[in-house]
Amino acid sequence: MSDHVDGPRQIGEPATDLTDLFAFTSPENPAHTVLVANVFPFAGVTAMFSNAVNHSIVARRVTVAGLGNDARFKADDKEIRFSFRFDALERAAGDSQAVQRGTCTCPDGQTLSFLVNDEKGASTADGVFRVFAGLRSDPFYLAWVVRDLKKVPNLLQHDNVLAIVVEFDTQRVLNPGGGALFGAIAEITPLPGRASPIGVNPPRYDWVARPEQTNMRLNNPGIQGEDDLRDLWNQQTPFAMAEELKPVFHQKLVGSLTNWDMRDGKADWSPEALHAAANVYLDDFLLFDVSKPISDTSYLEIEKSTIRGKPYGTGGGRTVDANVIDIMVTWMVNDDKEFMQGGATSATKPGLKVFPYEASPNTELQTVADGIDLAASPDQVWALIGQFGGMWHPLIASIKLTGEGVGQLRTIETIDGKQIIERLEALDHSQRLYRYTNVSGLGVVDYTGTFDLKPKESGSSVEWRVQFLADNQPTFAVRTIVATLMKTGVEALSKRFGALK
Amino acid sequence: MIEAPKIDLAYSLTDGDIAVNNLDSARRHSWSRFWRDPLQPGIAECIVEQEQLTAQFVGDLGALDRLDTLVQHLDRTDGESPRTILIRAQIASMAHRFAEAKRYLEEIGDWDELSDAASRLSLSIDQACGTDLEAALEARRWMVAKSKRLEDVVPLAALRADLREFDEADRLYQRALREYNDTSPFAVAWVCFQLGVLWGELVPESQSSRAEYWYRKAIEYLPCYVKARVHLAEVCLGHGRAKEAEALLLPAIPTGDPEVHWRLADVLARMGRLADAEAQMQTARSGFESLLEKHLLAFADHGAEFYSGSGNDAQRAFELASINLANRPTLRAFELERKTAAGVGRLSLK
Repeated sequence: MSDHVDGPRQIGEPATDLTDLFAFTSPENPAHTVLVANVFPFAGVTAMFSNAVNHSIVARRVTVAGLGNDARFKADDKEIRFSFRFDALERAAGDSQAVQRGTCTCPDGQTLSFLVNDEKGASTADGVFRVFAGLRSDPFYLAWVVRDLKKVPNLLQHDNVLAIVVEFDTQRVLNPGGGALFGAIAEITPLPGRASPIGVNPPRYDWVARPEQTNMRLNNPGIQGEDDLRDLWNQQTPFAMAEELKPVFHQKLVGSLTNWDMRDGKADWSPEALHAAANVYLDDFLLFDVSKPISDTSYLEIEKSTIRGKPYGTGGGRTVDANVIDIMVTWMVNDDKEFMQGGATSATKPGLKVFPYEASPNTELQTVADGIDLAASPDQVWALIGQFGGMWHPLIASIKLTGEGVGQLRTIETIDGKQIIERLEALDHSQRLYRYTNVSGLGVVDYTGTFDLKPKESGSSVEWRVQFLADNQPTFAVRTIVATLMKTGVEALSKRFGALK
Repeated sequence: MIEAPKIDLAYSLTDGDIAVNNLDSARRHSWSRFWRDPLQPGIAECIVEQEQLTAQFVGDLGALDRLDTLVQHLDRTDGESPRTILIRAQIASMAHRFAEAKRYLEEIGDWDELSDAASRLSLSIDQACGTDLEAALEARRWMVAKSKRLEDVVPLAALRADLREFDEADRLYQRALREYNDTSPFAVAWVCFQLGVLWGELVPESQSSRAEYWYRKAIEYLPCYVKARVHLAEVCLGHGRAKEAEALLLPAIPTGDPEVHWRLADVLARMGRLADAEAQMQTARSGFESLLEKHLLAFADHGAEFYSGSGNDAQRAFELASINLANRPTLRAFELERKTAAGVGRLSLK
């Protein structure tokens, strides 16, 4: 998934795992450029940055060094670097909520101090730089099982990441008059070490440029039994790959791209074009041209046009809302002959048009569960509770059904006069399971309930589980309502069927 | 006495407070993802890993209960899959239900995709049970030669210690520290703790100052490391530094680990605060019994140690030590059983 958990090393320390890099024109100010790097895949709502590493976003000027099958991009030696460091957590006396502060060193040496999760961020007095760091909704979405290209819903739905955002005056920082094409990378490097006989610092822990260089190209899930080169790749120096390793990575990329090309059973790429693409991917930086429009669909256009032997027409880059996986998969599998749409068309939340551009974090879904083992056969119990319109709950006065099968609505009148509307989402009588969502009446969003009945010893076991997000009311209040509904229901079942001893 | 080498790691580690905060945050999010879709690839395995870390380093013994919930739910939704069976085996092993774990592993058989994880787990169980240690040693050495990862070096060191090759174990632990090149403090704190146990408890003649050095290092990297606090408190109390021992234990009380209450009771008794000590001892006793009721094999050895010490119930100690020995016939289990047998005035039958 993009660069999410892209090697054995990252599994131990997710806060130093870079997931994605973005480069786009500021939606707030077209004269500004925005670079964003995300870390910590599947971050929880209290996630914080590691204080043991440098987080950097680096850009270099790039020139097109070859066209067609000789396509290459050459990066300049001079770098434009933003470095972020974070402090240990601070806790006010008696306050369990920790805060974290950070510092960004800008390319001109100015430093900006900021508070993590402060949406306003921090700006330099001259207005040239503005930075933010904190938890955001993960803008990346992947809706394929990559191994066999099966469509699925977004695998990162409701997930968050820790984001690092820099916005700057394009003219003053990049000086596009000297060339408007740039390559960007983000990297996590060790802090300067102390002299000691024990311990070794790797040159870097992780880096990322174009999405899915590691998890889909270098470690193609469709190819089994090959060595995992991702940790080795992550330790390479961006813009300066070790010469002796280039053939190893190139061979791996050609093998992987060949496999991708044949995923639809047809060879759409010539061997020469595949080698050219491998060369372009080997110079791994996110290309963006600040003199041309960067849009949600311009990702990879610079690379594609150059390999096809023609001048590029967009600014490439990568916006927060870009559907990068489907763009990339389409190019790799059928060379853009037919767009391959995965199982989702957007991330959990769309990006913002205002700073810091990535959407606010997702709240953790609340789960309430209850259940009981009953002294009655599964068939007996299911005959009662397996009916979506079944009247068995003591707090329900009436149920009216609309429609049939999946999609059916039930309008519930409770004994205290409230109306709740729920929709049947899945029903499996053979597994004795049904799932429903709340449409209205409970002050919740993303509410999903599941009834699941299984045989147990001489009787049966019921599990009733609900997940939700409170909507404009305190979570504990909704939890109490849901838990009471469940407890009353479970007690009623116990009274009717008897509890399994 | 051999002096402990003073280490000063060249690499920086993420602050222990941040690492624990992030572990807890990620663990909660993983559960949320699991409830949304229990069959999402890798999510159950991720929870097992995070709950293991939580139990090991934060002393949150509720992790075992939560993992039981995980298994119950997987049994309902994906009960027959080899993946679920492997997870069952992992959780059974974590709760020291080794025979049950072995049965699950036999069910998996030669399932290709899981064979590596299954054989690693099988090896860990053999090591924990003291079964066929020479074969285990061969396998561990091969794994270290192949991967050189800390996760492989540390179990080899532990095995060397089990085989009473203490200097070799020490050498391997320190090698693990030297070669580690990541930022997570969990692994480093774990190695330091293991070194503390090695020199404080496993060697025939305990070297308490050397053990103290390593326990302190473990706590330096991971202040919430409950086991390290408890062991260091024991060392401090052994040296008559009761106040220091108390200061180590007090921050660990919220975890609810009965071992913390037990050691605190000993400390308070030494300070002459007998009523406070008795209150802590009661909490420890009910805590142990509650854990033993739910996870007998996981806590039988700890319970036996407690009751044969200031928990002061020789019969219960012997009963638990016998259960522990039957479950895992290691030298340590045998010694514990023999000690507790003597406490009830009988010779060990094993």
